Amino acid sequence: MLLEVKNLVKEFGGVVANADISLGLERGKIFGLIGPNGAGKTTLFNCIAGYYKPTRGNIFFEGKDITGWPAHRVTKVGIARTFQSMKIMPNLTVEENVMVGAFCRISNRLVARRDAQEILKLLNLAEEANVLPTELPIATQKRIELARALATRPKLLMLDEIAAGLNPLEIKEIVQTLLRIKEERGLTLFLTEHVMEFIMTISEVVTVMAAGRKIAEGSPEEVAREEKVVEAYLGERYAKGKSD
Amino acid sequence: MRQVLKDIFSFEDRPRFERIGFVVFILIILVFPWMVHSAYGRVVMIKFLLFALFGLGWNLIGGYGGQVDLGQAKNVGFGAYATALMMFWWNTPFWVTVPIGMIVAAAESFGVAYPMFRLKGHYFAIATLCVALVWKELFVFWDWTGGARGVELTIRPTPDFTYMQFGSPIYYHYFIFLLFITQLLFMNWFRKSKLGYELQAVRDNEDAAASLGINVYRTKVITYTITGGLGAVGGSFMTVYYLYIDPDFVMPLDLSILIAMTVMVGGAGSLWGPIIGAAILIPLDMYLGAWLGAGKRLGIDFMVYAVIMMVIAAREPRGIWGIIERLRKKG
Repeated sequence: MLLEVKNLVKEFGGVVANADISLGLERGKIFGLIGPNGAGKTTLFNCIAGYYKPTRGNIFFEGKDITGWPAHRVTKVGIARTFQSMKIMPNLTVEENVMVGAFCRISNRLVARRDAQEILKLLNLAEEANVLPTELPIATQKRIELARALATRPKLLMLDEIAAGLNPLEIKEIVQTLLRIKEERGLTLFLTEHVMEFIMTISEVVTVMAAGRKIAEGSPEEVAREEKVVEAYLGERYAKGKSD
Repeated sequence: MRQVLKDIFSFEDRPRFERIGFVVFILIILVFPWMVHSAYGRVVMIKFLLFALFGLGWNLIGGYGGQVDLGQAKNVGFGAYATALMMFWWNTPFWVTVPIGMIVAAAESFGVAYPMFRLKGHYFAIATLCVALVWKELFVFWDWTGGARGVELTIRPTPDFTYMQFGSPIYYHYFIFLLFITQLLFMNWFRKSKLGYELQAVRDNEDAAASLGINVYRTKVITYTITGGLGAVGGSFMTVYYLYIDPDFVMPLDLSILIAMTVMVGGAGSLWGPIIGAAILIPLDMYLGAWLGAGKRLGIDFMVYAVIMMVIAAREPRGIWGIIERLRKKG
């Protein structure tokens, strides 16, 4: 197990955002996390990545207990993430954005720059290297966030709604990119998404959350058939479309 | 090591017009005392270089770090008092007192940074302002610092490079220029360093910075500590230049605000911003003061001054350097 979440609870005041979540991610696979708005997906991500301290429960990464670690330490240990609402450094160029990520493992500026350039090439961003990210379209900015996260050399990459707001063509592109970098860098991917076409095609294992609880887990086909999931999230039409 | 030296002295990555402008600027400063013979002009020039020096230091936390620090005067005071008191008590040479002043200022900054960076934005700014005011009151209250009377140094008539005291302002001109250029080269290295980039990442987005493995809190504390040390250098210069210091002179609130203002007007977070800001505000302040402040029209110079600053702040929050960059992109 690369990542193991055990009986995780996160409460905000009286609101229970995550109630007793347990899951395990095996090395080298692609995991999807779906559920309606407010199901607690991003909260779970934030707990794992060190942005929230869990109220109860434990998180293990490669057998090490990382529960409650601050975000920067979690990154150092090998977990990188992107954000649902874009968080790009607007006053740094695209290359510098990625370079800051590379500084996570590399102290020398020239080596970090070379590393950043390599990753930019990998994500077809080499031409935009010296541009300010705010001048670029959303789809490109998402790729920059992805590049930046990759530059920290993670073992586990967590992507929070990376396909949101992209058109079908862009989604296809990002699927291909993700599969490619996963192979090349030996990554484990953990994604949350609302775009079903995206997450159901790319994921090997899908976890479904609703109202802070985990309600189902399995292959995309299994999950899509489960009554609870259809009821809570997917809707009749999606399930029918799949079975036809 | 070679890489570090190259980073310090190389401006290669800057566009050509900036490098040319920089060389022209250096040449003007170098020949200035031989071209301008008015005593007031020379005083204005030295004060400009002093505030450019202050600005470069403050730009670290205020510009690259984006943390509005309104207490830099306390560090100026630490430097000034370290030099003044050590010279007064033990006849310590100037060049020994400078590092000690820097260490004292850095140590104090490190100590107060710890609780202060629990605060953000305006609350942080208010905290820095309060800390500086407390130190000023302490220096007024204490006897061993000379209290409100301050410290006066005996004047050495012959040029003295151990105590850095000279009869002629020309010496002081090159002396402050040396300090200024040293700090500029330090900043040239800093902006390219790992810490420099991490600091800018923290300024731009703390959550993103943390997600890239940056300890946001530690980055701020280290930067604030370095800024404190840099602020003390100008303070040491003030002691040997004016030969008399008191808390109202070297650590008032006005000084903290003026340092922050020069950088913001010039362009916070850019290499040249603090120099441009000081080049505009210091002569403006001194000539407006001489022109409008004389006689009974007290305060008019401050009003004119304030209006000019407000216009710049409203037109372009990234300061004059922001305007230059925008024009260049268009042109």
